[in-house]
Amino acid sequence: MSSTGQTDEPTTTYEQAREELADVVRRLEAGGLTLEESLALWERGEELAKLCQHWLDRARERLAAAAPDDADG
Amino acid sequence: MSAPSSPEAPWPVRTVARKVADWIGRLGEVWVEGQVAQLSRRGNAATVFLTLRDPVADLSVPVTCHRDIADRPGLELTEGSRVIVRARPDYYVARGSFSLRATEIRAVGLGELLARIERIRQLLAAEGLFDAVRKRPLPFAPAVVGVITGRDSAAERDVLVTARRRWPAVRFAMHNCAVQGPQAAANVIDGLRRLDADATVEVIVVARGGGSVEDLLPFSDEGLVRAIAACRTPVVTAVGHETDTTLVDHVADVRAATPTDAAHRIVPEIGEQRRLVEGLRNRARHLVTARLEQQERWLESVRTRPVLASPDRLLHGRADDFAQLRTRSRRTVVHRVEGAERDLEHARARVTALSPAATLERGYAVVQRADGALVRDPAEVGDGERLRVRVSGGRLAVVVDREDGEP
Repeated sequence: MSSTGQTDEPTTTYEQAREELADVVRRLEAGGLTLEESLALWERGEELAKLCQHWLDRARERLAAAAPDDADG
Repeated sequence: MSAPSSPEAPWPVRTVARKVADWIGRLGEVWVEGQVAQLSRRGNAATVFLTLRDPVADLSVPVTCHRDIADRPGLELTEGSRVIVRARPDYYVARGSFSLRATEIRAVGLGELLARIERIRQLLAAEGLFDAVRKRPLPFAPAVVGVITGRDSAAERDVLVTARRRWPAVRFAMHNCAVQGPQAAANVIDGLRRLDADATVEVIVVARGGGSVEDLLPFSDEGLVRAIAACRTPVVTAVGHETDTTLVDHVADVRAATPTDAAHRIVPEIGEQRRLVEGLRNRARHLVTARLEQQERWLESVRTRPVLASPDRLLHGRADDFAQLRTRSRRTVVHRVEGAERDLEHARARVTALSPAATLERGYAVVQRADGALVRDPAEVGDGERLRVRVSGGRLAVVVDREDGEP
């Protein structure tokens, strides 16, 4: 699951990215990894965090785009 | 009395007329019930002409009576009145016309009218025309509303004005007609058929203001009730005041208390709908925003976790490990080298201590044979053997000379 370095933005949903990110952090915090493993995990974590951020930013943009534009309440 | 007629001997008109008049005259008196469709008093003429209509079948008969009978106090004969007439069928020979010659006219009493309506109601109820399962739901916001009402009536104004105020986009298909009197039921039925046939009409309102029981009588007409039941379009009735109940109210899909109430039933209130939509919209937005913010906080908390936020810490501990190991290894090597140096020193001291150098210094010498063996006994060496002598200052080679020394 920790396949690193691949751009899976179009297929990974926010929930998938989020779940994997939580898993990455949990594993990093648990320790007991080789340096190479932990670096690879950290890189994957960064990637996933960016992906999550991307989705959230997109969501914000869409919210802003759908802002009420009619004058009356 | 006359001979049978034949082409050769036809009867004159007067004979035929008299024969018909005689025959009709023998019918005698009858009691007839019907509705006054037309009433005409010609000036001060002694005879009043009425048209008596059958309220269910589409037919009528002319009635004539003396003015005194029509104007009897308490009768208040008007068009639309339900009456019971005592009459004698009469053939007016001068014109060849048939009529009923009334000798007495009674208005059908209110109690009688209500009892009759009640009988019709029970009949139609037994047929299931008023069943709740037959009631159709009204469309939410109909584009076109059919309206059957009196022209320029208060009921018409109430429906149109109120409905337009509530839902400005609403359009109306109007059918203005008589809403009281003998033609009312038939006119309203015509309107229903016309509007029901119009596919754009989504709901039909039948509206009429308040009136006497007699005024509202057409709205308890059996034919009209059946016509409403037959409509494919939902029908809303608003007839009379809230306390008046006509049979159309039972059969209608929705009974409105008043024409204004009908307008409330047929179209939603636009402001209310806007507020409703706006409220839902706000709730949705708040929910989505809250969800988004919650996720943003989560992501932020994850990103600030030490393992992600400062990856150098991953290396940090490891660099320490490395430095420590390095120090330890260096220390170990140094230690070993120093130990070796100390060993060497000791060895060198011991070597120095054990060395014959000091003895040689004092003038002793060491004699060695060619193979390096020390010479400890003169008997060990032969005459002329070459030996090596080592003294403090260095080595010198010597040759054994037995003659020179004692054996």
